[in-house]
Amino acid sequence: MNDDTLLTAVRDTFAGVRMDTPPEQIVRRARAVRARRRLPRVAGAVAAVAGTAVAVTALLPASHQPETHLAAWTVTRQADGAILVTIRQLTDPAGLQRTLRADGVRASVTFDDQQNPACRNYSKPSSALTNSVIGMPLGYHEPTLVIHPSNLPADAGLQIEAGRLEHPSQGGIAISFGFGLVQASQACTGS
Amino acid sequence: MSVTNQRPDFAEFYRRSRNDCLRAVLVNVGDQDTAQDLVAEAFARAWASWRTVSRHPAPAAWVVRTALNAGVSRWRRRRREVPLPDPGILGGLPAAGRVGDDPVDPRVMAALLRLPVRQRQVVALRLFLDLDTGRTAEVLGIAPGTVTAHLARAIAALRRDLMPVLPQETSS
Repeated sequence: MNDDTLLTAVRDTFAGVRMDTPPEQIVRRARAVRARRRLPRVAGAVAAVAGTAVAVTALLPASHQPETHLAAWTVTRQADGAILVTIRQLTDPAGLQRTLRADGVRASVTFDDQQNPACRNYSKPSSALTNSVIGMPLGYHEPTLVIHPSNLPADAGLQIEAGRLEHPSQGGIAISFGFGLVQASQACTGS
Repeated sequence: MSVTNQRPDFAEFYRRSRNDCLRAVLVNVGDQDTAQDLVAEAFARAWASWRTVSRHPAPAAWVVRTALNAGVSRWRRRRREVPLPDPGILGGLPAAGRVGDDPVDPRVMAALLRLPVRQRQVVALRLFLDLDTGRTAEVLGIAPGTVTAHLARAIAALRRDLMPVLPQETSS
């Protein structure tokens, strides 16, 4: 079997996959996209002023030490062991990665569509497991992730990506997150 | 007013490319519901910016790229999580040789999901959008040589994983 035949055979297995969303539904959704763009720079918009960190602190639940404040992101450990990560600017992913690792979270953090090529999918994947380890809590005015390190299996780590969605019509930038479990390794998650 | 009346070229673009875009995203996220949602969102954004997107050299690639970038939009998905590609569905694989109701043979999907993310993206763009090396490199923001290397490694891995699964050529 040559390369073309192999790829054709792989492609053919997807023949039954069909997008069944009617175009009208796409248009309804598109109108929501437009409405969203007309909103003032609300939650998710990148904070450009240094004072925002203070506002964020006020919004976060009561927590105990350690707590680190930087303009770009905030890492807060809560009383129950959960860790809140608030990202406002896509700078210093290595610093965030170091902070999480210092807090006992095996993690790979990348911004702006960069990826750590050493990371591999977790060998025992489960959506339920992923959701028990990391998620996006409600009620925050800035892009926030919650991590439950105690639910992270010993051989797993977290891969966190954040990218920007630009909305030139209103001059705003939104942060999008991607996250999931990966196989823990020195090269990917630090241990 | 119908979609066709409003933006006939968008309607045609959607009709023509939606399945391939969905397949390309599915290869990357591994879950059909998630893929449908991301692709629908990306097409909605394409509609909203159609004047720009329609001039893109590969609008379908724009949709796929946007869908994959969307991942989780904090603006839109406060109540939802869209993790990075996580082959969680593989936990419930049917027994070997049984495909069940899944439109894609789970063994093929598993082999694709085992590829590193970049290799999977290259395979998806080449396979379903038929992009050449240059365009694939442009869409992914990497060098053409890197695309070639990713594709070669992906093919080697797929060959290793899938030779016992895919229909074999017969010689007489």
